[in-house]
Amino acid sequence: MTIHKNCEGLRRRDCLSLGLGALLGGGLVSALGSRATAAGQSKKPTGCILIWLDGGPSHIEMFDPKPTAPAEVRGEFQPIETKVPGIFFSENMERLAAINDKFTIVRSVCHNQNNHGAGNHYMMTGAPTRIPVSCGAFVSFHPSMGSVVSAERGAPHNLPPYFSLPSITRSGGPNFLGARHAPFVVADDPNSKSFRVRDVTLPQELDDGRSVNRRQIRKKLDQLVRFQDRSAGDPVMGADENYQQAVSLMTSDVALRAFEIDRESESVREAYGRNSLGQRALLARRLVEAGVPFVTINDGGWDHHSNIFPAFKKQGRSLESVVATLIEDLDQRGMLDTTLVIVMGEFGRTPQISTLPGSTTPGRDHWSSAMSILVAGCGTPRGQVVGATDVRGYAAIEKIYGPENLVSSVYLKLGIDPDKIVYNTSGRPAHLVSDPRPIAELM
Amino acid sequence: MFIPRPSIRFAFSLAVAIGVFVSRGAVFAEPAKEGQALHPAGVTFELDIQPLLTRHGCNSGPCHGKSRGQNGFALSLLGFDSDFDFSALVGEGRGRRQFTASPESSLLLRKATGQVPHGGGKRIEVGSPHYELLRQWVESGSPRTPADAPQLVKVVCEPLTQILAPNQSFQLRVFAEYSNGTRRDVTDVAAFQSNDRTYAFPSMDQAGLIVAGPIPGEAAIMARYMNNITVSRVMIPQAGEVPEAAYASLPRLNPVDDLVWKKLKLLGMLPSHPTNDATFHRRAYLRIIGRQPTPDETRAYLADSSTGKREALIDRLLERPEYADFWANKWADLLRPNPYRAGMKAVWNLDAWLRDAFRRNLPYDQFVREIVTAQGSSWRHGAAVVFRDRPDTVEIASSVSQLFLGIRLECAKCHHHPFEVWSQDDFFGFAAFFSRIGHKGQGLSPPISGGEEMIFSTPTGQLNHGRTGTPVSPRTLGGTDVTISPDDDPRVVLAHWMTSPENPHFAKVMASRVWAELMSQGLVDPVDDIRATNPASNEQLLDYLAADFREHKYDIKHLIRRIMTSYVAGLSSVPANRNLSDTRNFSRYYRQRLRAEVLLDAVNDALGTEEEFAAMAPGSRATQVWTYRTSSLFLDTFGRPDANQDPPCERTSDTTTPQILHLMNSPALNQKLSVDSARPAQLAASDLSNEQLVDEIYLWIYCRLPTTSEKQTAVEFLPGKPERRRAVEDLFWVLMNTPEFTFVD
Repeated sequence: MTIHKNCEGLRRRDCLSLGLGALLGGGLVSALGSRATAAGQSKKPTGCILIWLDGGPSHIEMFDPKPTAPAEVRGEFQPIETKVPGIFFSENMERLAAINDKFTIVRSVCHNQNNHGAGNHYMMTGAPTRIPVSCGAFVSFHPSMGSVVSAERGAPHNLPPYFSLPSITRSGGPNFLGARHAPFVVADDPNSKSFRVRDVTLPQELDDGRSVNRRQIRKKLDQLVRFQDRSAGDPVMGADENYQQAVSLMTSDVALRAFEIDRESESVREAYGRNSLGQRALLARRLVEAGVPFVTINDGGWDHHSNIFPAFKKQGRSLESVVATLIEDLDQRGMLDTTLVIVMGEFGRTPQISTLPGSTTPGRDHWSSAMSILVAGCGTPRGQVVGATDVRGYAAIEKIYGPENLVSSVYLKLGIDPDKIVYNTSGRPAHLVSDPRPIAELM
Repeated sequence: MFIPRPSIRFAFSLAVAIGVFVSRGAVFAEPAKEGQALHPAGVTFELDIQPLLTRHGCNSGPCHGKSRGQNGFALSLLGFDSDFDFSALVGEGRGRRQFTASPESSLLLRKATGQVPHGGGKRIEVGSPHYELLRQWVESGSPRTPADAPQLVKVVCEPLTQILAPNQSFQLRVFAEYSNGTRRDVTDVAAFQSNDRTYAFPSMDQAGLIVAGPIPGEAAIMARYMNNITVSRVMIPQAGEVPEAAYASLPRLNPVDDLVWKKLKLLGMLPSHPTNDATFHRRAYLRIIGRQPTPDETRAYLADSSTGKREALIDRLLERPEYADFWANKWADLLRPNPYRAGMKAVWNLDAWLRDAFRRNLPYDQFVREIVTAQGSSWRHGAAVVFRDRPDTVEIASSVSQLFLGIRLECAKCHHHPFEVWSQDDFFGFAAFFSRIGHKGQGLSPPISGGEEMIFSTPTGQLNHGRTGTPVSPRTLGGTDVTISPDDDPRVVLAHWMTSPENPHFAKVMASRVWAELMSQGLVDPVDDIRATNPASNEQLLDYLAADFREHKYDIKHLIRRIMTSYVAGLSSVPANRNLSDTRNFSRYYRQRLRAEVLLDAVNDALGTEEEFAAMAPGSRATQVWTYRTSSLFLDTFGRPDANQDPPCERTSDTTTPQILHLMNSPALNQKLSVDSARPAQLAASDLSNEQLVDEIYLWIYCRLPTTSEKQTAVEFLPGKPERRRAVEDLFWVLMNTPEFTFVD
């Protein structure tokens, strides 16, 4: 509890000491915003792949090892050197350690929402829940990053601008931005031979010819009269537009190619790993390549209250291998400069190892005062660590930031002003992010 | 439910817009011709300076008016708290904001004029009349308005109504009236807002200049000065003369028709023709019971030649069992407890209560009384779940006022509503009725569980005013303080006031809801935001419907019958000569996409298939699903509201590209289309000729017979019987993927 307060207290003090800077804040942020927009216009448009580790991954077992802490904090794993001298990761992050000159770890984002429902909401939207919610909650009080990007950016070729694979994250919805900015969920497994993107590619039983034929008959039999004059406000005209968009998406080579993951060479597919997560990361890269600005990969099973060490040997390694491949692949393709990769969950985990009642193996519990976030690409620094936690990994103690700052950074990188005013369904204005200052070190 | 539209957003974007006006030849400092100098003290804070802060957007929501201010300078939103604003300007900022010895160096002036960097940019020109006022005020020592100064009593505008031709404009003038009888022209410092910018909007170049849009219609222009509002109505009639007889000869099946014709006459519009029997038949089914008629029902109706067949149809539908499920489903949208807060059992319990209420046709006043005064276990008494879902006094008060009175009090919790008459005092007085609710049970606070909870009335309990912190007595809106003995439940007193015949709000908001549900478009928009600044498109009609509803003992079925048996409800959606641009006045029927549940049921009914829902008995229909947590990609794609959103997400009737894609390509739907037991396969294997078969398909999907040319086209496409199954499936697919199926017309 004391540590918990500490985190918040420091943040408050941080803000106070920034008081003077805050006076200039607006100007600075808008300058950054306009630069991001300018960058977005002059170069290839930016995109973001968010790998969401649902449950809250342990910072100590990943990017913030604590070798000098007592055994009940340190855990089973040793720190390893990384490519950047002076930076250490936990031993399971071997492949990432070898390429951490390509990305940054932020060790100092923290908040005060210690349950999954609220923590997820805070990290996914940059806003805390307005009322307390429970661990099991899937709540939405504010639009998620993906939905905001969908609304602000859109996507070419009639592609949905916001994908979520294989499911929507708890707070990944559009809230007041409306259903049109909900994520396009692709539940099917791209690792499966019969993989198809639902609704966009035809069901297996249906061949192209039959689908074309159906659309031709439709053209003849669709005889409902339309009121062409716009002042008549005929909603059917809108539906016609949607139909045209749907058909052009179904027949767009660029879009369809993005979905055809088997166009990738065997070696690339192998490099990503022949598992669902690996192939989803590959699909995400293909989508961003085709112009989709935001893809979330929702990867569950990171709530390690027990069995944490065996899990990290397996799950941790398999994740880091996927992330490392993704970053290398983006880099080799020259896409890393325009693609932001974020790997995070709702919070970190308790430094003190615990064995919960009813459990036979040790684990760590929810801990929002400290966490590690991997950030790569889109002009973020390569080979850095931002902020730090104390020697036992309890609390962020340097360059302390909140979820607001992380989300603001993502928006700025994608050319969106986090200080923009948005209106909820009852017309009430609100800022996109209440604290629009980005994590300065990432900018 | 009830079609929210984004138009309301304009209302608030005003806060941003105010600051964009460019002041031209402002004459504010001069008293208007009727008036005299308001106070010998000269330029003072409340009378002269605060209006400027509002006028230039300084205290607007996106700027210093937001609760945490902007860059350390906070004002009350739109200037509702003068003490706060005065101390912010004069007391805070280490005296830099106003500097009597050198007024020009005051931060107030230097920021506003952009002489030092200002996030809000340059708002006022150096040397302009407004600048002069600010300067004089600072120079004279930043005085407050003395207590004996005239008080602002009300704000009026002239003219109150104006008729314009398209693209014409007129000057609206706003006057402030003071307690000493003076009156001054405040047009230059008033803010203007249109409720529908399509038809008329305030010019950005000249304060109070109102410009008509290019098409006939109507708009309400709100003018605000300090915390006072006034409304002027602008009408842009259709060009050309319509002979009186054209209106006199229009049918009047009930008073609804006459009131609609009266309004159309003002706008110089004439209604469309009545729609055909089949379209009306389908419309009535979809609107009253949320399902499509079967081919037999359609054939019987088309064959019926009796004169009263429309009325008989409405009566028949109101007695159908689907009625209760359909309307309870709409109310579940409104009350929709969040299962993560209330627990699943409680959600089910409330849903069951709602369905039962509609099955019994519980009179609406009783329905509301039972909700507002609910007591008992959240596991046994469904209505009590509302209080488990909204345990916070402030939250339940806002919900009750919006749902049952059409009054949005939520804003008034923190600040004076910018477009409303209700103040913070009104809000807390109303909320105090909910300050003596007892909660006992499990999972009341995090971690919230699905446990049981008892709701009861306690003898003690009080609500403190959000700003002053002092205890508040219950007070009805627009009424006086009420004393309630410890033995009585304040909610009973409230419910009595709400449902009494004298209450002007109660019947109106339900009439507004039901009208919008049946007619696609609200008389007021949003349907439960009824206020002078958001007037109904046809006030007399809304008043009539409310009175009629009240006189018929709040019988919901009567209200539906009244609307659906009007001539107006049977009009075609196709515009005629003099109503093309009408989207508000019901000169024609307005199309609307089917609700998610109705569309899914329609798909299954047409295909002769069943949907499998989790936590539902086999054969259940989508309108019977009691929680959004019964997963359905179809329902979510078509906009079923998500009860865990806060504020709960509104149901929309938008069309989206994923909806079209889903209907075209969803594996689940294609599977249904092609299974042996489904209707396409069955019809293909039947003895029907191809001609008969096409009739059947049209009846199942469009609920009408095909025209000759449609039939010809469709039949051409069908091969002989042994090979026709694929083609029949394709025909089903084709018709289901057209708007004639997905829209009510």
